[in-house]
Amino acid sequence: MNRRLWRLGLVLVLAALAPAPEVARDPTIGKSYQVPYRLTDTNHFLVRVRVNGKGPFNFLVDTGAPALYISTDTAKKIGLEPAKNSFWTPVDRLEFEGGARLEHIKARVEDPFQLIGMNALGLPGASIDGILGFTILARFRLELDPTRDRMTWTRLDYEPKEPPVPDRAEGDGPPAEMGAMNLLGPLAKFAARVVGKQPEEQLHPRGFFGLELSEEGGEIRVSRVLADSPAAKAGVRSGDRLLRLHNRDLASLKGAREIVAEVKPGDRVPLVLGRGAEKLDLTLTTGEGF
Amino acid sequence: MNANTVCRRIRAGMLPLLAGALALLPGSTPADSPATATPAKKVEARPEASIVSFEMLATNHMVVRAKINDKGPFALIFDVGAPITLLSNRAAEDSGVVKASTPRSFLFAMRGEAEVETLKVGGLTAKNVPVIVLDHPLLKAMGQMLGRRLDGIMGYTFFARYRTTIDYQSRTMTFEPVETKVRNLMKDLPDRLAGPRVAKHRVLAPGGLWGLSVGEAEGGLDARGIPVRSVLTDSPAALAGLKPGDILTTIDGRWTTTIADAYAAASGVAVGRAAPVVVLRDGHELTLTVRPSEGF
Repeated sequence: MNRRLWRLGLVLVLAALAPAPEVARDPTIGKSYQVPYRLTDTNHFLVRVRVNGKGPFNFLVDTGAPALYISTDTAKKIGLEPAKNSFWTPVDRLEFEGGARLEHIKARVEDPFQLIGMNALGLPGASIDGILGFTILARFRLELDPTRDRMTWTRLDYEPKEPPVPDRAEGDGPPAEMGAMNLLGPLAKFAARVVGKQPEEQLHPRGFFGLELSEEGGEIRVSRVLADSPAAKAGVRSGDRLLRLHNRDLASLKGAREIVAEVKPGDRVPLVLGRGAEKLDLTLTTGEGF
Repeated sequence: MNANTVCRRIRAGMLPLLAGALALLPGSTPADSPATATPAKKVEARPEASIVSFEMLATNHMVVRAKINDKGPFALIFDVGAPITLLSNRAAEDSGVVKASTPRSFLFAMRGEAEVETLKVGGLTAKNVPVIVLDHPLLKAMGQMLGRRLDGIMGYTFFARYRTTIDYQSRTMTFEPVETKVRNLMKDLPDRLAGPRVAKHRVLAPGGLWGLSVGEAEGGLDARGIPVRSVLTDSPAALAGLKPGDILTTIDGRWTTTIADAYAAASGVAVGRAAPVVVLRDGHELTLTVRPSEGF
């Protein structure tokens, strides 16, 4: 059964024998790119990709996948019509965060059950919109360093071919165990409806003060107040010493940064300043920006 | 047992399959071997780095030969998309990772979590690698299709211990040990699954003072970036040449298509470091350099 499932169609074998069209050498060969990635809660590596100029979308870096997969939802969003008479859908260009790009790529528009299941439950903590498999990854030398927040991709002089199309003859169902796996997607969707989806992390910008600071002899000094900034509006002046912030004494600039790290735009932050021999109590309403 | 408990159990049970199933996609057998194209290129190894050669399967998967607890070699698929490392029942028994008498679940003959004492590939030995023991249907189907035995999958719990370089052209991988905490999905995720459905909140704190504010992007999926709303006089952003109305597309090599993106990118730029910033102004792309100053 399995052999039949993946048996090659004669037409495809013939197609593979046809001479490949002349392809111009990619000018990016030999170039290295720093590709930012995100490690999901499920220990998957995601990189951001624009497909035909639209996006960005989260794609899974997956050497366990043979080709490029784009979810049906993503394809719909970008107006990519899945090819009707072919297994592969042509994509004009892929741009990767970090600068790498590929042109004239073939993609499979499909929803593998792994993605349906994980996305339905919200397990990764971010939506996964597609999969970068062998036909994409093999064009690069991939360096994955868990101590850095970016991968290094170096374009190789190598153009992998798409794997041939699985031949699915009429009435040729997948093996029973594969069928069971494919049920996981709907099952996960059902479970998610009853218990709820794991929500995505909420990100907030930090509040803005407009203070340029320096540290000398255990004192934090305002070296400059940016014009029209929340600090300027609150009455902070350059030369002031920053003594207390958010009702806490300050010992170092590092400590001050830690206190400020959780402040959101629009928060009212009490400050105690030293100006000459004077002590001043002010309240600063943080703004947007950084 | 109420509906919630049942569902949680279903979800906990599905975990090794979804995760373990990883993103292993079976694909199909190509007419000709995919990586026949180019001659091998030399990979320069750093000191302490181990070079391991791999074999390309006709299904476009990488296979390495590994000794497990000094038994084997076993054929393992190297899968960056797999959050766990997985062994078939046979490989787990042959290598003594589980006893033949260990009970199996009826589903995929799963034996659950175990630990491999030593996993050797090339000259490299990884110790105490957590594994899941189960007969994965995709692995089985691929093995049948290729007419050979595939014993498991090497995933995150193995490769996250190293700076890993994969070179398809020379068919080698390079592993260099790094100091890092390797998360164990099978331990962490069940806790989260059982926990409340409450979103985590995180404030994104920039590394230094820039002196600008940004707005949300317009144009949906076509948007290249976010508009700069204001630039404060004489601020690091102003000194770099940023102007209100610029469309900010990249900070320090990271795309800025949402406000959160911009803060996340700025959080990676320490005080005083020159960060390249790309903006669109009147349809032209400009690369400017911002050095954030100390402050907030």
